[in-house]
Amino acid sequence: MSAARLPRILSSVMFGALALYLILPMLAVLIYSLARRWTATILPDGYTVQYWISALQDPRLFGAFVRSVVLAGATVAIDVLVVVPATYWAYVRNRRIRIIAEMAAVVPFALPWVAIAFGILLLSGRFAPALLGTPLLLMLAYAAVHFPFLYWAVDGAMAAADVVALSEAAETCGATPLQIIRRVVVPNITGGVVSGGILVFASSFGEFALVQMLVGGSFETVPLWSADALRATLGKFPELAVITFTTFMVLFVLSAILVFGTGAQTIRLLPGARAVEQRR
Amino acid sequence: MSEIVLRDVTKYFGSVHALDGISLEVAPGELVALLGPSGCGKTTLLRSVAGLLQPDSGQILIGGKDVTGMPTRERPIGMVSQSYALFPNMTLRNNIAFPLVVRNVPASEITRRVSELLDLVQLDAQADRYPKQVSAGQQQRTALVRALAPQPDVLLLDEPLSALDALVRHQLRDEIRRIQQAVRTTTIFVTHDQSEAMAIADRVAVMHRGRIEQIARPPELYDRPGTPFSAAFVGSRNALELPVRDGQVSLGSAFAVRPPAGSGIRVVIFFRPEDVEIITDGRGHPATLEVKIFLGATTRLHLVTDVDGKQARIYADVPSRQAASLEPGSTLGIRVDPANVRVFSVEG
Ligand SMILES: Nc1ncnc2c1ncn2[C@@H]1O[C@H](COP(=O)(O)OP(=O)(O)OP(=O)(O)O)[C@@H](O)[C@H]1O
Ligand SMILES: [Mg+2]
Repeated sequence: MSAARLPRILSSVMFGALALYLILPMLAVLIYSLARRWTATILPDGYTVQYWISALQDPRLFGAFVRSVVLAGATVAIDVLVVVPATYWAYVRNRRIRIIAEMAAVVPFALPWVAIAFGILLLSGRFAPALLGTPLLLMLAYAAVHFPFLYWAVDGAMAAADVVALSEAAETCGATPLQIIRRVVVPNITGGVVSGGILVFASSFGEFALVQMLVGGSFETVPLWSADALRATLGKFPELAVITFTTFMVLFVLSAILVFGTGAQTIRLLPGARAVEQRR
Repeated sequence: MSEIVLRDVTKYFGSVHALDGISLEVAPGELVALLGPSGCGKTTLLRSVAGLLQPDSGQILIGGKDVTGMPTRERPIGMVSQSYALFPNMTLRNNIAFPLVVRNVPASEITRRVSELLDLVQLDAQADRYPKQVSAGQQQRTALVRALAPQPDVLLLDEPLSALDALVRHQLRDEIRRIQQAVRTTTIFVTHDQSEAMAIADRVAVMHRGRIEQIARPPELYDRPGTPFSAAFVGSRNALELPVRDGQVSLGSAFAVRPPAGSGIRVVIFFRPEDVEIITDGRGHPATLEVKIFLGATTRLHLVTDVDGKQARIYADVPSRQAASLEPGSTLGIRVDPANVRVFSVEG
């Protein structure tokens, strides 16, 4: 066996093990959604598409799904519009405000959800009481809480593309700030925007604590519906499996299309990754 | 009238005095090389002219117009940075077109101008490749014509050749000079390589610790350095600190010169390796040959000699034919024509 082949085989084995680890739970969920009865055996007693039909025809579940998609999509849109220009500014124009951005990005992870939700309710009650209990408040709260994923991804992409040097070069070419952002900065950080956007979408889609505390049952999303379905009175376990699998597939396909479609490079997402980045 | 004028430009970074009262005038069409060691403020000076940073005080004029507070994009400049900073998302052609596109130049005019520029640097064949897909030299030439595309009044080059290997570097150095002569754009060329500065520039400005120590034509700078720093930095001179005795400075029987008026009791003297004469008939100041380094037509000798009671190393460049007969370890005589010895009083 040649020296070069051993690592190849090793890496194939590692990849296979990882793929199995990730795929098995989803496969189990899929089988469960198709099972007639599955209790004490390794594989179900029989199969049926009955739960898929009932789940997809359930207007309540469909409504929750649509609300979740729209909410998560809107959160991504807000975050992209706010975070990309702000990160550019912090990165290129005024590096001193980076410390504020870094600290703000840690808050959602450092504070417990209850404290965050209560803080948002308090703030909104003080300055915009009309927003209390509305989906709009929920959307703004999501944007505020999930932005770090996008911030880190965009910040990492800016470091990788050496956006400072590129925008200075564009400036000496006579470009205005808007031209620089549109023609030079954005095309060179799409990878970061896409991978950060997917994370914001996924975490918003799965958000439970905030929606529970800010609007409750008046604006049912998939996680709220799922929690309800888990309660014994409803007992819709197979339907829950259907919606879990569907959600996963939607996110997976969306990520795959975006990542391959934009030729996005992998961006170092973790905050620590920037410690080793090269600065001129 | 001068195309570029700097008047007493000062810049601090915290406590670092990056520019210490710089005054400089560059004539229209002239190429001035800014020469100095790392950290002396070359980039800071260039970026001030470009408007990428704001000096703390002083005035910058381009074409007689005060541009001190003017944003970069409004200044009539083109710039090439050390890293080239080509846009990775654009082909070479689109990189070169960029300064014209952002100025809303008509498309037909852009096409014409870009193909003219591609022609100038022989990049037609690579025009539709991305920066990553071409060599460093081709990237450098692209960056150069991108800077020239809008026909700027002033061209600013920050160590444009330092990332290239020796052969390409010499080729491109000559090419930059050829293009600069053809388009006659007033140019500031930053480098820390003295031979590069000498080869390319009409005048060389020697920078040291945020100041311009001397500005002169290359031959004059080479023969008559005005300060100890330019003497040491240009021409890789031998530098020795010697005492003044009886109104004279001497290195044994190698040379004896008069120090400048007002010197203290010690002076620093400089002389170039090629001005050291090797004598083998027993005369001259004795020195031991340590190492011979073959450089082609000449050979560099590392000599150890007694200077004012201490051992010091002196370099001598001699024709390789003469060096062939010299054996390492042997003792030779050295002599330097006093006309080629520069004397400066010891500072502070
Ligand atoms: N943004 C900055 N913040 C703080 N100090 C700086 C900054 N830019 C430059 N300096 C300091 O100012 C001095 C001059 O720097 P500059 O980059 O102009 O040197 P240089 O002559 O271009 O050097 P090199 O040949 O290494 O490029 C250096 O001491 C440097 O550390
Ligand atoms: Mg520099």
